[in-house]
Amino acid sequence: MSRHKISFSVNGERHELEVEANRTLLQLLREDLEMTGTKRACERGDCGLCTVLMDGEPVKSCLVLAVEVDGREVTTIEGLAKGEKLTRLQRAFIEHGAVQCGFCTPAFIVAGEALLKRNPHPSEDEVKEAVGGILCRCTGYRQIIDAILDAAKGRE
Amino acid sequence: MPLPEFSYFRPKTIEGLVSLLAGHGADAKILAGGTDLFVLMRDRLVRPKCVIDIKGIEELRELSWDKGRGLMIGAAVTLNELIGSEIVEQRFGALWKAASVLADPTIRNRATLVGNICNASPAADTAPALLVLDGGVEVVGARGERTIPIRDFFVGVKRTTLERGEFVRGVRIPNPPEGAKSDYLKWGRTRGEDLAVVGVAALAADSGKKFVRVALSSVAPTPLLISEVEDIFRGEGSIEERIEKAASVVVQRISPISDVRASREYRLHMAGVLTRRVLRQLLGVS
Repeated sequence: MSRHKISFSVNGERHELEVEANRTLLQLLREDLEMTGTKRACERGDCGLCTVLMDGEPVKSCLVLAVEVDGREVTTIEGLAKGEKLTRLQRAFIEHGAVQCGFCTPAFIVAGEALLKRNPHPSEDEVKEAVGGILCRCTGYRQIIDAILDAAKGRE
Repeated sequence: MPLPEFSYFRPKTIEGLVSLLAGHGADAKILAGGTDLFVLMRDRLVRPKCVIDIKGIEELRELSWDKGRGLMIGAAVTLNELIGSEIVEQRFGALWKAASVLADPTIRNRATLVGNICNASPAADTAPALLVLDGGVEVVGARGERTIPIRDFFVGVKRTTLERGEFVRGVRIPNPPEGAKSDYLKWGRTRGEDLAVVGVAALAADSGKKFVRVALSSVAPTPLLISEVEDIFRGEGSIEERIEKAASVVVQRISPISDVRASREYRLHMAGVLTRRVLRQLLGVS
């Protein structure tokens, strides 16, 4: 198996390390960098819980090789709040009770932030479409959609 | 479970890719979006010793349109890049729609059109669209280049006419006839993410004579072009009668299975319903 030197940044912090070819971005984040905010579940691209941003676009990190992030910029749930200051979307999740067990929350927030950046005033259908690849087994979708719509309106 | 072990290569040129494929033969797999490949590898259904990432080859990122030559979609073009193209949306409606309803938007940031057809699932959403749009699969191998008409590309479940050492450089789609409209209707259990229970693509043009094509996914071992439909619309009869005839030919020609998503009977029924629906819409029958 081949090994590769990669250089990339996560939440603005630069990393250089060597990875084996079969390492995924998800393993790189959770195991090598010990950033466990990104969740591991189905590992086949179905549940979307491992969603992170690669150069600003959401990807399912279980289906991306670590070696593929060489030269790229990764954003995870850990990179959103500035110290104690949560983003508007994170606050909206709390206000709407858009969290039950919490396991899917990082993925929904990361995907929601990417949507709001690309489309600051999405319709409800556009919100549903954007997070359509992420599953919540507590089925609290209503609150999640409302939280994203509210964050778009700029309500505190 | 971790992915099985392999060596990773990222050639920068087509020549580099050809020689890697020639050197590794059956042990090599091509990586574009990885949304099918890594699932198959995790399930140990494929175990390549060598994974060749084609995203470093600039030529394969080509997405271009030309009045004469039509649309060219390189092997590294993602589905979201395809959906973002106004030309695709305006002139190649069935393809735009099929790409828009494939999996979910996060998957589409990585998944490619060429990956979708090379995986050769009977449920490949983009395949019926390419069949009605008469796409050509541009293939490169150690012995040179050839174009495989999309209707000759699929030969069985997950099997294509690609030969060992060959890879798909891209798909070329000729400009549809003037005034042609096309669409793809995907019938699924949920609106997002799931595979189609039945998918129907159709193209309709009218320059004095009606020209209509229909193709389906998830109803046979391969995506299927129903060639008889063209003859039906060249023939006699009211539009209503010809739509009915087309729907009944579709139902006779397909051979769906029962699986976790739907029964054979339900698929047969919905193939007829969707064929009527898409044809009525394209032909302006209320």
